Amino acid sequence: MTRVGRELGRLLPVAIVLLFLAWWIPAYFSSYWLRAFTAAVVYSLAALGVGLLYGRLGLVSLANFALLGVGAWVSLRLALHDPHLPVAANIVVGGVVAAALGTLIGLPALRLRGLYLALVTLMSAGAFFVVINAIGFPEGGSGFTGRGGSGAIRNAPRPSFAENDSAYFRFALAVAILGFALVLVHLRTRPGRAWAMIRRSEAAAYSAGVNVTMYKTWAFTLAGFLAGVAGGLYAANIGRPGTGDFGAASSMLLFGISVSAGSFHLLGAALAGLLARGLPALFSQRGINAEIANMIFGFLLMFSLTAAPEGAAGQLTGLARSMRARLSPRKRRAVSDGEPAGVDDAANGASAAAEVGS
Amino acid sequence: MIAAITGTNLLTFLITGLTVGGIYALSALGLVVVYRATGVLNFAQGAVGAIAALTLANEFIGKGRPEALGYIAAVALAIVLSLFYGLVISPRLSRRDPIVRAMGALGFGLFILGFCGWRWTARIQKLDLPTDEWSFKIGEVTVTLTRALVIVLALVVTVAITAFLNKTRVGLSMRSLANDRELSSMLGVDVRRAETVAWLMGGVIAGLSGILFGATKQLDASSLTFLVIPAIAAAVVGQLKSLWWTFAGAMLIGVIEAELTNFNRISPYKDITQLAVGAGVILLLQRSRVVSFVGADR
Amino acid sequence: MIDIDRVTVQFGGVRPLDDLTLQLDGSIVGIVGPNGAGKTTLLNVMSGFVTASTGSITVDGTDILAMTPYKRARWGIRRTFQTEQVVNELTVHDNVAVMLDTARLSSAEKAASTRQALEITGLAHHAARSARVLNAFERRLVELARAIVGTPKVIMMDEPAAGLSNLETAELRATIARLPAATSAMVVLIDHDVELIAAICENTAVLDFGELIAYGPTAESLSDPKVRAAYLGVALEQS
Repeated sequence: MTRVGRELGRLLPVAIVLLFLAWWIPAYFSSYWLRAFTAAVVYSLAALGVGLLYGRLGLVSLANFALLGVGAWVSLRLALHDPHLPVAANIVVGGVVAAALGTLIGLPALRLRGLYLALVTLMSAGAFFVVINAIGFPEGGSGFTGRGGSGAIRNAPRPSFAENDSAYFRFALAVAILGFALVLVHLRTRPGRAWAMIRRSEAAAYSAGVNVTMYKTWAFTLAGFLAGVAGGLYAANIGRPGTGDFGAASSMLLFGISVSAGSFHLLGAALAGLLARGLPALFSQRGINAEIANMIFGFLLMFSLTAAPEGAAGQLTGLARSMRARLSPRKRRAVSDGEPAGVDDAANGASAAAEVGS
Repeated sequence: MIAAITGTNLLTFLITGLTVGGIYALSALGLVVVYRATGVLNFAQGAVGAIAALTLANEFIGKGRPEALGYIAAVALAIVLSLFYGLVISPRLSRRDPIVRAMGALGFGLFILGFCGWRWTARIQKLDLPTDEWSFKIGEVTVTLTRALVIVLALVVTVAITAFLNKTRVGLSMRSLANDRELSSMLGVDVRRAETVAWLMGGVIAGLSGILFGATKQLDASSLTFLVIPAIAAAVVGQLKSLWWTFAGAMLIGVIEAELTNFNRISPYKDITQLAVGAGVILLLQRSRVVSFVGADR
Repeated sequence: MIDIDRVTVQFGGVRPLDDLTLQLDGSIVGIVGPNGAGKTTLLNVMSGFVTASTGSITVDGTDILAMTPYKRARWGIRRTFQTEQVVNELTVHDNVAVMLDTARLSSAEKAASTRQALEITGLAHHAARSARVLNAFERRLVELARAIVGTPKVIMMDEPAAGLSNLETAELRATIARLPAATSAMVVLIDHDVELIAAICENTAVLDFGELIAYGPTAESLSDPKVRAAYLGVALEQS
C-alpha cells in the first residue's frame, strides 16, 4: 500500500500543475493560442502512442498520424450522420476503429522487425493519404463518404458543454489526461512489466511466461486507440480537417518529434505536443516562416538519435535526478550508476539471443 | 466509367509509366547502393534531390544565371550534402540498429525539406530542361527527349553500377560490406573508402533524379522529398540488394500507376500501387522467414 | 524426472544434439561437457528457443515440446541465461514478480511467493530498489530468484557462476544447494567447469559432440575414462 501512496505522492504535483493549466491558459491566452494549445494537447496524445511503441518496445510506427486521420474521419462521419450522437462517444468510436486498424498494421510486427516493420507502417500511412485525398473528409453530404448531395457544408461539432474555445481546451485536456492515465496504468501493471521484459530481450520475455505476440499487438492497439481519439479531438478543434495535413511528412514528423522529445517518458509526449503545435504557432504569430520549425524538428531528430537517446524529457529528468542527488548525498551512487538507458539497451538483449542461438 | 481505351492511350501511358518508373529506378538504385555499402536506408535521398532541383530552378534558371552552371551546382550540392550526412552524421549511429540509422537520415531529410520550404516560398511548377524541346514520334505518340533520356539513363545506370560492383576494387569491397560488415573490416576492406564512394554515388543519383522528377512530374519540395517512398518500394522488390530486381520493380510500379490513369474510378487511387507493391513484397518475403528468438534483425 | 528420448537438433550440416536419449533424475543434476558439446542447445530445446527435428522430452510425464515457449515457462520450465537478463527499468521486486503475472494465484499468494524467492536469494533488502544499481553478482541472484518463484518444476541454470569471483561463487553454490529444501523443482546445472558441478550435483550427465558419454552419480560419471578422454582431448587441443 505504501507503493500506491508513493505513486499518489508523485502524481499530486502533476495534478496540481494540470489543474493550474486548465484554469490559467483559457483565462490568459487569446483564441489563437487556445486553439494552438488544444492542438498541442491533442498531438501529445498521438505522440504518447508512438513513444510507447518506440520507447518501450523499440518498434517504429510511421503510421500513427494516418491513424489520427482515421479517428478524425470516423468521428466526423458519425457526428454529421446524426447530430444527436454525443460527440464524446463519436470520439471514442473513432479511437476504437483506429485501434483496430492499428492492430492490423501492427500484425506484421510479430514477424517483421526493425526496418521492414517501419517500412510497412510507412506504406500504410501512404495508402491512407491516397484514400483520404480521393474521398475527402465528410462535409455533411449523403453517401458513405459524407460528401455527396447538395446540402450545406458543415463543420465537426464540439460537445454541447464545450462549444467555446476555453471549454473545448479544458475538454481536450481532460480527455488527454484520461489517455495518459490509461498508459500510466498499463506501465505500472502487468503490461508494463511484460513490455519491459520484451524490450530486454524476447528470449527473456518468453522464459518469464510473457506472451510476446499478444503484448506487442496490444501496444499497437493502444497506440492506435490514442491516435484515433486524438483524431476526433483534432477534427472538432479545427472544424473542417483538410486532407493536405495527412501526407507522409506528418507521419514521419510525428515519429521524429515524439522520439526527440523523449519516448521513454510520459513527459516527452507532452513536450512533443508543445513542440509540434506550439512552435509553428509561435513562429507564424511572430511573422517567422513556420518552415523553420520543420528544420528544427529534423535537426532535433538527428540530434536526439546521435547524442541524447532519451530525448529532451530524458535530459530534463536526468537533470532533476542529479539536482536531487546533489541535495541529498546519500543517493549519489544511484545516480552515477543510473546511466541513461537508450532504446538500444534492447540491443543488449541480442547477446542473450545470440547465446540462445548458439 | 472507363475512358476510351485505345492503343494510343495505352501507349501514351506506357511511355509516361516508363518515364516515371525510370526516375523511381534511379532513386531506388541510389538507395540500394548506399544501403549495401553502409547499411543505411537513406531516407534523406529524396530531400537531397529536392534541394538540388530547387536550387537549379530558383537560383539559376529563375534568376537568369547560366543554366549549365546550375546543373553542375545542383549535382555538386547533392554530392556535398550526401557526403556530409554519410561521413559526418551517419558514423555517429554506426553501431545502432538499422532502423535507428534510417531514422537519422529521415531527420536530415526533414531538415532539408524545412530549409527548402523556408528558402523558396514562391512555387515554380515545373522545371524546363533543354531536352524538352526535342521530340520524336512513336506511332501517334510524341516522346520528348527528356523522357527518352530518363528511360535510357535508368537502364545505363543499372548496367554501370552492376559493372562497377563486379569489376572494380571499390565495388568488390562494397559488395563484401553488404555481406558481412564486421568480417569485411577485419579482413582489411577499406570501409571508409567504400562508404565514401557509395555516398558520393548516392549524391549524384539523388541530384539527377531530383532534377528529372522536377522536369517530368512536379517541382515541389514535398513531392520530391517523398520520391523516396516509391524508391523504397522498388528497392524492397530487390530486397535492398539486387539492382536488376530493383530496376524491374520500379518500372513495374511506374507502368501500373500510369496505366491506372485510364480508369476514372481507380485513377485517384493509383498511387497505392507503390505502397501495395512495397508492403506486399515485404510481407511475402518475410513470411517464409522463421520467427526467431535470436534477434536476427540485422 | 526429465525424460529425453532420441532428440536430434540439426542446423544445416551441424548436429549440436545427435539422437540424445537420457533420463535425468535427482534433486540437483549437472550437465557438463566441453564447449560445443550441446549443453546450451539442450537447454534451448527445453525452453523452446530451438526446435528438435526429432525426439521427445517429457517432464514428470508431460510432453513439454508440444507447448509454446511462454506456456512452458508458465507451466514450470524455468531457466537463467549466460548473459543475465535483468531489466534495469524495473525494481528488483518487479523483476521477480513479472514471472507470476499470469500465474493462477491470489495476489497475497503472489506477494508471499515473491518475498520468499527474494529471501532465499538474499535479495529481500534490495526489493524496492531499481535493478539498475545492482552489481553483477546481485543480477545473477535476481535471475535465480526469477527461476524459483512460484511453482517451478525444472530450474535450469546456464553457467550461473560465469564471471563471478571465488567468494561470490561460493555464496552462489550455497544458495543453489539450499534450493531442494525450498522448492520441489528439479535443479539442472549446466557448466563446462566441473568444479561447481562436482560440489553440489547428485547426478551428472556428460555430453560431447551432441552425444551422451556418461550419466550417473556425479563422482562416478566424472571419473569415467571416456569423460577424461573428452576433457583431456579438449585440454590438449587448447594447449
